[in-house]
Amino acid sequence: MDLYVAAFGFGLVGMSVIAIAAVGFTMQFGITNMINLAYGEVMISSAYVAYYVNKAGITIWVGMIAGALFGAVFSFLLNRFVYAPFQRKGTSHIGMVIVSLAVSLMIANLLLPIVGYYSVSYQDTTGGLLRAGGIVLTTNQIAIIGVAVVLMLLIHGLLRYTRLGKAMRATAANPTLARNCGIPTQRVIDSVWLITGALCGLAGVVAAMDSDSFAISNGAGFLITALAAAVLGGAGQPYGAMIGAVIIGMITELSAAAWAPEYKEVVAFGILVLVMVLRPQGLLSKRGALAAAG
Amino acid sequence: MEARPVPSLQAHGITSGYGGVPVIRDVSIAVGPGEVVAIIGPNGAGKSTLLKSLVGILKLDTGTILLGDDDVSGRPPEELARRGVGYVPQVNDIFEPLTVLENLEMGGYLLSSAQVRARVGEVGDVFPQLPPMLRRRADKLSGGERKMLAIARVLMLDPKVLILDEPTANLSPKLADSLLREHVRRLAGLGKAVLLVEQRARAALQVADWTSVLVSGSVRLEGKPAELLQRQDFEELFLGAGTDLAASEETNMEET
Repeated sequence: MDLYVAAFGFGLVGMSVIAIAAVGFTMQFGITNMINLAYGEVMISSAYVAYYVNKAGITIWVGMIAGALFGAVFSFLLNRFVYAPFQRKGTSHIGMVIVSLAVSLMIANLLLPIVGYYSVSYQDTTGGLLRAGGIVLTTNQIAIIGVAVVLMLLIHGLLRYTRLGKAMRATAANPTLARNCGIPTQRVIDSVWLITGALCGLAGVVAAMDSDSFAISNGAGFLITALAAAVLGGAGQPYGAMIGAVIIGMITELSAAAWAPEYKEVVAFGILVLVMVLRPQGLLSKRGALAAAG
Repeated sequence: MEARPVPSLQAHGITSGYGGVPVIRDVSIAVGPGEVVAIIGPNGAGKSTLLKSLVGILKLDTGTILLGDDDVSGRPPEELARRGVGYVPQVNDIFEPLTVLENLEMGGYLLSSAQVRARVGEVGDVFPQLPPMLRRRADKLSGGERKMLAIARVLMLDPKVLILDEPTANLSPKLADSLLREHVRRLAGLGKAVLLVEQRARAALQVADWTSVLVSGSVRLEGKPAELLQRQDFEELFLGAGTDLAASEETNMEET
């Protein structure tokens, strides 16, 4: 029983990391209609930015901010100079997916000579131990949970209560009508890439913090986990991505306790496949998914 | 003979379409303050294409569009909205997943928060049915409520020119009549230039000050409704297109 309680604690951390990544991924898709398969590589690039900041003797929490800023700027530029020109030319949806896959491979291969094959880890990322019941977490893990909760509340507040957030939802629901209302949809989309890029970068850093070590090859895994949570919750649906993250994060850790850690992702993705068969539209299905947020 | 007002919006010889294939050719049209101009014609005549070209959704192949004295040809929809052109499309005319209030807020996106609050109140006076349902999601509205919201959303910016694409589509004959006679006419009475595409030709003729008949992408007839009704070639144009005024009305009633 103690094992499961401990696994529950790790599940809380895992789902926090996945939630940050999946909400950013699903918002990108919901508003800009772009399935960005380079998301995982932007995550890992941001994790490396934080690594070099941390290696210079600066605390990882500053590194996290640097990673988020890098993710925001990188994602914004990626859209402005790669994706948007293709979209303006009328490239098909599947064509855009292939473009993002190509970008993903380019980032990984450009990064490789810089960072190398070997795994690295942040310094001073564990913090002290805190125990509650059978749950044992480091202070940094608790901080990760706190960061995720604050971010999810901020995203909710943004979409539900701010002018920009409502314009994002309007643009997601009906971009042509949004333009007819005078909404500068291009500026709204730029904001979406900045915000979701920051979430992507931040998710990369916390995912790396939550691992003992990380390497350039982890980008694909980061993407698949975010993608799984987003699809499970309903593509383009931020609250769905949060629920998807809870399910994937918790099942991953509990299955590790019940079965074997090597197969935890197999169990999680097995459940994802099952959901896709029974409810292919995801758990929170609704037309104009992101627009309905709030 | 009563002269038409100085145009708020006018198009001169515009040609546009999809994928390089023109749907409307050399169309000229004008609407002035306080005037209702109806564009009628059979299905496929290019009525919606004309409106999309006027509001910047479709690019012009040739021709010019003037807003007052300013040439706004090729300007994007958001700029035309800022300059006082309000457009209600035939379908996808509201943000369905947003609430009624959020739809109105998006309609008033270019205003300050205080101005939005004030305009929501003023628009609520024009459509008294809307204020009690501000918190309701727009996709839960009935057809008539939805159309009122679509027009109210556009009114948030207090546009000089109001362009309505088949506002009575999918409404019952009674609701359609009420919308055209009460609301559309009243908006013109407030000094707005109203350009109306309408499939219910007879109903449109009853509220319009000026009517253009569009057939196969070209304006074939135009004039005051009373004069058009007396012309023999008026109904022939409809008959030639495989329909007539009465049939057009009946079809619409069946559809609703």
